[in-house]
Amino acid sequence: MNSVLLPVLGAVVYLVGMRVYAAYVDRKVIGADPKRATPARMYADGVDFMPTSRSILFGYQFKSIAGAAPVLGPIIAIKWGWLPGLVWILLGTFFIGWVQDYTSAMVSLRNDGKTFGGISFSLISPRARTILLTFIYLYLLLIAAAFTNIVATALANAPRIPLAIAVLAVAGVIVGYLIYHGRTHLAIVTVIGLALFYGALVLNGQFDLRFGSDHTNWLVWVIFALVFSLFGALLPIWSFVQPINYLSFYIVLIGMAIAVVGLVVKHPAMQRPLFAGFTADSLPLWPMLFVTIACGAISGWHGVVSSTGTSRQLQSETDARPVAAGAMFLEMMLALIALAIVGITAAGAKGTPDQLFASGLGSIFGFLHLPEKWGLAYGPVLIAILAITILYLVVRFMRIAANELMGRVMPVMRVPAIGTVLALVLTFVLVTTGTFKYIWVLFGSANQLMASLALMIGSIWLVSEKKKAGFALVPMVFMYLTTMAALVLTCWQLLRQAATGLSLAGAKLPAGQIAGNWIAGVIGVALFGAALVLAYDGTTALMRFGRQKRETAKGVA
Amino acid sequence: MGEDKKEKKKGIKFGKSIKEFVYGMAAHDTARFALKTRGSMEHLFILITMGDMLGIPILPPYYSLRLLPYVVPQISTWKRRMLREKDFTDTLA
Repeated sequence: MNSVLLPVLGAVVYLVGMRVYAAYVDRKVIGADPKRATPARMYADGVDFMPTSRSILFGYQFKSIAGAAPVLGPIIAIKWGWLPGLVWILLGTFFIGWVQDYTSAMVSLRNDGKTFGGISFSLISPRARTILLTFIYLYLLLIAAAFTNIVATALANAPRIPLAIAVLAVAGVIVGYLIYHGRTHLAIVTVIGLALFYGALVLNGQFDLRFGSDHTNWLVWVIFALVFSLFGALLPIWSFVQPINYLSFYIVLIGMAIAVVGLVVKHPAMQRPLFAGFTADSLPLWPMLFVTIACGAISGWHGVVSSTGTSRQLQSETDARPVAAGAMFLEMMLALIALAIVGITAAGAKGTPDQLFASGLGSIFGFLHLPEKWGLAYGPVLIAILAITILYLVVRFMRIAANELMGRVMPVMRVPAIGTVLALVLTFVLVTTGTFKYIWVLFGSANQLMASLALMIGSIWLVSEKKKAGFALVPMVFMYLTTMAALVLTCWQLLRQAATGLSLAGAKLPAGQIAGNWIAGVIGVALFGAALVLAYDGTTALMRFGRQKRETAKGVA
Repeated sequence: MGEDKKEKKKGIKFGKSIKEFVYGMAAHDTARFALKTRGSMEHLFILITMGDMLGIPILPPYYSLRLLPYVVPQISTWKRRMLREKDFTDTLA
């Protein structure tokens, strides 16, 4: 099949999903009313609550939800063939993905802009809030571990790019200083920042930046990523995180624009097998594919963004559909482009996700008569930047979460440096002892469970409001069962390997990996337990509101 | 003529949407965090000077009264922000 057909199919799903399905739910089920005052209008404080144009919010929501995961998920899932990934991305987005993003925004919108913590407290149960927040901490830890691994592997495999990533940090600091203290024009600052980055990339292109053996080299880049995150978590946000994110936007935009133009110009055929079997790398297609491709089809992260940042800025209820649902459909397009890039690599090509992405991007640069080696270097650059810009934010949130969750019991956790170091140590242990495929699956499971919990909150709210809840309830049940099945299987494999000291193939495992399997397995069990309690409380709340709904209907009759 | 004007207006609107979309991706979060930082500093200042409005007397009321006229426009949003239920997910976006 021609690779361009992937985004074309995506465009069809986008049109039907947005114009027909989402429009129907928005108008008939939710009853979005442009005259009803949104929290942004009611509580406009110029800080959290601020009415903002829907085009700005569309860009803001898309940028907040589109990180490394929608690109990496389809690349990792290519091991089952490209068709299962394509089907899941299209159908997952159409039936589940946008529903979660949109419902999360609407629930918060109709509840004074409350976050999931507050809504779960009032709608489900008091303990649901504590469990949910603890769950989110573990979820953040898994994101940190998965993304640290991705950054370190990308930098270790491509020794001609690390200098550029290090210089990006320096350029970020300079850009931040020039904007806020130098009052320099943004265009000039942008040119200076990008010139520093691309200059370093060209300079590093002349030599390899590598330290010792493969493992030592990888370990050095793990520590580099964690130190990068340490600065990101502790320095004022304007001086490090924001300017790096700002520069990264242009770097990623340039790369993705070249990828799209290259695919359209050459429109190559997919080389990878259509379907590679129901089991790949000892992982069955169901339920593992559904947690491997997370953000491209549905992601819990989106619900959190919709219910915190976006819902407090929507100036009209009718903007929730184009902003929240629209951004999800656009992210689906990003995942499809990533699938197309990896789909055109040679059928037998093997390697880490960054290597496969680099190989595909190298070919695309070739289609546009640009040197292929530029694409081979730019691929890992994109992967490293997409991952590291999420990584330091996650560590920052973990630092704040440590304060919130443990600050009262252990006052030392209120010290920002302690919370950050705790997050970094936990991440380091998980990355250096864990196996990437399991960390990714656990991250995906936590992500998808978070999504099903967001859908559960949405469903309970719909029932409590006496609205039709089927469009959110059915996806919630599917996602919950699939993700719990994935967790059971992953924990079983991890704990069995840890207990026997043997890999699935029967080989003896080193002590470090056994410890890593224990840690990852215990995290998986903790996620499973938290999700069970939340499901129990959620079902009780659902039945309570369902009873009320029936009694009201009887009363009216 | 009317059609032309309509087309031109449509074009301008589309151009504006694209500009806003790019701004939303590139810089809206930066502007938002800058406002949040300023808001937090201002609210901390009001807490120190007008704390007794929330039952936390920090500054002698004489000085609070002197500052009161300057703070009046912000009192309602300040109180709401200080007393609103928050958790760490508030900082995610």
